[in-house]
Amino acid sequence: MRMNKWRADVQAFLFLLPFLLVYVGFTFWPMIKGVQMTFYKWTLIKKMQYVGWDNYRRMLQDQEMWDALWHSTIFVLLTTPTMLVLAIMLAMIANRKSRLQKFYRSVFFLPSVLSVAVASFLGLFVFQPYTGLVNSVLHLLGVLSDQREIFWLTETNLAWIAISLITLWWTVGFNFILYLSAMQDIPDEIYEAARLDGANDRQVFWRITLPYLSPITKTITMLQIIASFKVFLQIYIITGGGPLDQTRPIIQLIYQTGFRKNDLGYAATMSYMLFAILLVLSIIQYVINNRKGANA
Amino acid sequence: MKWFYRIVSVVMAAIFLLPVIWMLVVSVKEEGMKIITVVDWFTPPYSLAVYDQILNGTKLTDWLLNSVLVAVFVTLLTVVVAAMAGFVLSKVPFRYRAVAFFFILSGLLIPGEAIIIPLYQVAKDMNLLNSYEGLIIPVLASPVAVIVLKSFFDGVPNDLLESVQIDGGGTWRIFTSIMIPLIRPALASMAILTFIGSWNNFLWPFLSITDDNLFTLPMGIPTLMSQYSEDYVKPMVVNTIASLPIMLLFIIFERQIVKGVSLSGIKG
Repeated sequence: MRMNKWRADVQAFLFLLPFLLVYVGFTFWPMIKGVQMTFYKWTLIKKMQYVGWDNYRRMLQDQEMWDALWHSTIFVLLTTPTMLVLAIMLAMIANRKSRLQKFYRSVFFLPSVLSVAVASFLGLFVFQPYTGLVNSVLHLLGVLSDQREIFWLTETNLAWIAISLITLWWTVGFNFILYLSAMQDIPDEIYEAARLDGANDRQVFWRITLPYLSPITKTITMLQIIASFKVFLQIYIITGGGPLDQTRPIIQLIYQTGFRKNDLGYAATMSYMLFAILLVLSIIQYVINNRKGANA
Repeated sequence: MKWFYRIVSVVMAAIFLLPVIWMLVVSVKEEGMKIITVVDWFTPPYSLAVYDQILNGTKLTDWLLNSVLVAVFVTLLTVVVAAMAGFVLSKVPFRYRAVAFFFILSGLLIPGEAIIIPLYQVAKDMNLLNSYEGLIIPVLASPVAVIVLKSFFDGVPNDLLESVQIDGGGTWRIFTSIMIPLIRPALASMAILTFIGSWNNFLWPFLSITDDNLFTLPMGIPTLMSQYSEDYVKPMVVNTIASLPIMLLFIIFERQIVKGVSLSGIKG
């Protein structure tokens, strides 16, 4: 009997082993190793010199770091609310009974399957002045007069708009599907009862649809905030972090510090700043989700 | 009001579709055409000459193949490894199970981007830079996949297992012939999400690979694009070649993909 128990433990361990090997080796070990790196001047060829808390002190006074962190925050603030509104709107469109219902579902999700590099380069060309798609269409529609051009990517505010629009276009598909399936779970009887009581479209939306979607909205909001903080490649391709580093996100700064300036120790220190922020956000998400479970 | 809805719907669909159509159309245009209005983008002359140049004159198809290979291996291995772990966490009572569960659960709090710098150092120490193994192995442990699959295993009734055990079936047999088929939909959706994740993974290949024979698409495309300045045709050909396979997959497996994505929301 005891022998059997021991055998069961070994067997279970063998099932876990492949996962644990990779998990410990490439997630946990680097996490610990990274803490060590933050206390060193550490270069790509691993020339190490112990510097104590210098990297941390330097970071807190580093305007570039705070700017980059702020840029990532701007991106979060720009894309999260717009993402929610757009995803709900698209889900409403695809949820209405019509001959094109399936077509809408495919079209709204299609950009999500593109590679991030393709989506970003497509966006880069779409927002070019003179010949880019957006300006050309605006000229055609007469919204933009022939003499005027919008230089989307060379002016900071416009660059943020372009980056956000491209990101929304490329990633809204996932959240759109989540909303769509949540909407399809709302029982028809509730809508019918509301109609019988004389509710109009607007009332149905605000009093029934939106409240029913609120659990998934909470989830999407937090996941979206966390994901947006990690933005890098779209911005790197579309503006390169410019003009004048005005759109450079924190991950780009970490990359440049580590690999262009050959300063892995300081790059690791900034990574842990990002880590701390994401950790707090994840814990908030966990608390919100569990409270939701308690109410249900 | 009905018309208003309809117009909004069609306009949104157009906005979502137009960039993709534009990409496809520009990719078959002749190089060096004068573009004055948007209409010029869509009119002849057309030509496939650039496709020939890109397919034969660059490494794009190699990178496409690398992306597919890496994504396929990462998907298969991630799902298998996570299913094994999720299965014992759910169905096999063993010592320290709660500890193992919380150890894996805590991984949900560790963002890959935040440990990428030390990961680079670790992979370098293990000689994993510039190799397929280095692209595949470090990304295989997905705590999310374990937790999601565990919750699906939890849904399988225990008496089903006991009847097999009485038959004399071992743990491995229970896992492969009973559990796996029962949670196939969950495995499929996990696989789809992992595939898309790997397909889009940029930061890790970007740091760990310098040999352009090992590039994946998200790294290769920017390298290639930096050589093309004036004309739109070459970039659009590159975009199209990189996207056609995945768009075809999407059209074929749309139902499964949509189902996979909506299942993933349950975990939240």
